[in-house]
Amino acid sequence: MKLAAVKPVSRVLARELAVTALLLAGVSVVVFAILYLAPGDPLHALGVREALGVPRTWHGQYTAWFGRVVQGDFGNSIRTGLPVLPELARVGVNTLYLTLGALALTLAIAVPIAVHAAVHGDTAGNTAATIGAYILSAVPVFWFGYIVVYVFIHQFGMFPLISGTAAKQQHAWLYFLVPIFVLGTASGTLAEMIRHLREELSRVLAEDYIRTARAKGAPVWRHAFKEGFLIPVTEIMSAKIPFLLGGAVIVEQVFNWPGMGRMAWQAAQDRDFPVIMGIALVAAAFVRSGNLLQRVVFTAVNPRASKE
Amino acid sequence: MRYEQADNLPQLPLLQRADALDLLYVSYGLLIVGLVFASYLMGAFGWLPHDPRAMNVALINAAPFTPGHLLGTDFLGRDLQSRLILGIQAYFIPGLLAIAISIVGGSVLGILAGYRGGSLETLVTYFANLVDSFPRLVLILLVIAAFKPDIYYVMVVVGITGMPVIANLVAGKIAFLRQKSFIEAAHALGLPAHTVILKHILWFNCRAALVIQATLGMAEAILIETSLSYLGFGVQEPTPSWGNMVQAGANYFLQGNFWPSTAPAAAILATILGFQLLGDGLNNLLEGKRRR
Repeated sequence: MKLAAVKPVSRVLARELAVTALLLAGVSVVVFAILYLAPGDPLHALGVREALGVPRTWHGQYTAWFGRVVQGDFGNSIRTGLPVLPELARVGVNTLYLTLGALALTLAIAVPIAVHAAVHGDTAGNTAATIGAYILSAVPVFWFGYIVVYVFIHQFGMFPLISGTAAKQQHAWLYFLVPIFVLGTASGTLAEMIRHLREELSRVLAEDYIRTARAKGAPVWRHAFKEGFLIPVTEIMSAKIPFLLGGAVIVEQVFNWPGMGRMAWQAAQDRDFPVIMGIALVAAAFVRSGNLLQRVVFTAVNPRASKE
Repeated sequence: MRYEQADNLPQLPLLQRADALDLLYVSYGLLIVGLVFASYLMGAFGWLPHDPRAMNVALINAAPFTPGHLLGTDFLGRDLQSRLILGIQAYFIPGLLAIAISIVGGSVLGILAGYRGGSLETLVTYFANLVDSFPRLVLILLVIAAFKPDIYYVMVVVGITGMPVIANLVAGKIAFLRQKSFIEAAHALGLPAHTVILKHILWFNCRAALVIQATLGMAEAILIETSLSYLGFGVQEPTPSWGNMVQAGANYFLQGNFWPSTAPAAAILATILGFQLLGDGLNNLLEGKRRR
């Protein structure tokens, strides 16, 4: 069983890696095209372009830019003059913590509700929980952030809460967890996550092979786990990463969290092209790797999928 | 297989077989849609209780039910009720534009992928994956950095990013319907392809799904618009938008003046919830996804 699954996974991995590379190349073209079409050209003056050796055609400019990006040179920020990539690596880690932490928290809330609803059908308890999740998902995350800040300042006397970097005092871990809590509960993904997990699990639980397993007295959970739980969970996780990254832009703004989202906000404000291009590329790479991981899990669980 | 059998059974009228909870979702959603539309018209024709720009420094951050100001006032003493109603202008037409782009573009892509298939399908899949690679807000910030556009151009981007979902849905429907005998019969009768696609596939078999996607798309558009104007990229003061109202009120939030920021936040909550519940409720009622 295990051995049979190994070969297809490597084959699918190779194919998916190729697809990912192709998509990232497409992402770079889109990012470049948007900023290429932007009005205003700092090198407009006659002869400056030739003097600096900047290619004139769009494909010349793209190849030159893409060549540097592949070598890890994302250019220098217009605002600070610092190279973009090391800055991105520094703040990207914070965003990674924030989004992955929030994803884990959302799952921790969604999974029990979804499993309970799929196994027991509609009960008063899980219907209330589902409606609660709908309401929580519609709460504007910026406003929820203020509520949490207010409660922490006035109830627990924690001040200044709005600062990720100054958190060198006691309770530093708490400063760290509060934004994760806010993004994880109110990012708007919760209701959809519950819905997807519940639908998939109850679909699988209604299958004939589960009925057979139940009739035989075999453990139902073990038979339903891969198809009814593992695959939907990885699916929804990879589908929600872009959404959480978008939510991170707002939460980082509310909590002054030194991450990529705040940097993106600042860059959009200043029209800092190298920075916003770098952020878009890194964010897309993050989304694609989540997707890659999901495809690998899917194939490992379901080797038939590789034979299409 | 389960579904095929169920299709042949005589069905009860929709309202009788509907789940009470779904009906509740849909009626709440319809109530919100009605309120939003009515408020949009009120804002468009200027039927407001107060001038939304008239300041009254003697009465700032007033609580709800203050005489003359049903929902209180903001930090400049402007009437919150009027500003909330006018704030709908910021997303209503732009949101409809985003939905229209998603639905038309997504349907075209879905038809190309599902009906023609082959390399076109690969191309559409590639496009969909490409669009899905970007976090929507990051893509919008990129466009904002490049063009400093107004909300309509932003909503074009939102519309384009909404296309893959619709394309997938339509392509899936077509793949399912192709094998059905009524489509074969339509072809055998010599009906032109556009009649089969537009009438028999899109109109008769996809319209419920498309309406559902439209309501969910409106929830997305409102979320994007309010987030952007909260971040300072959307509608600018003194023109009200729910997002910039939350932001403006937030300065007084930590002093305990919750209301000026909470009123627009509650409006956002109630509205997004309404569109989402309407979409999901209709989905359960018409498409019968969840309950078996």
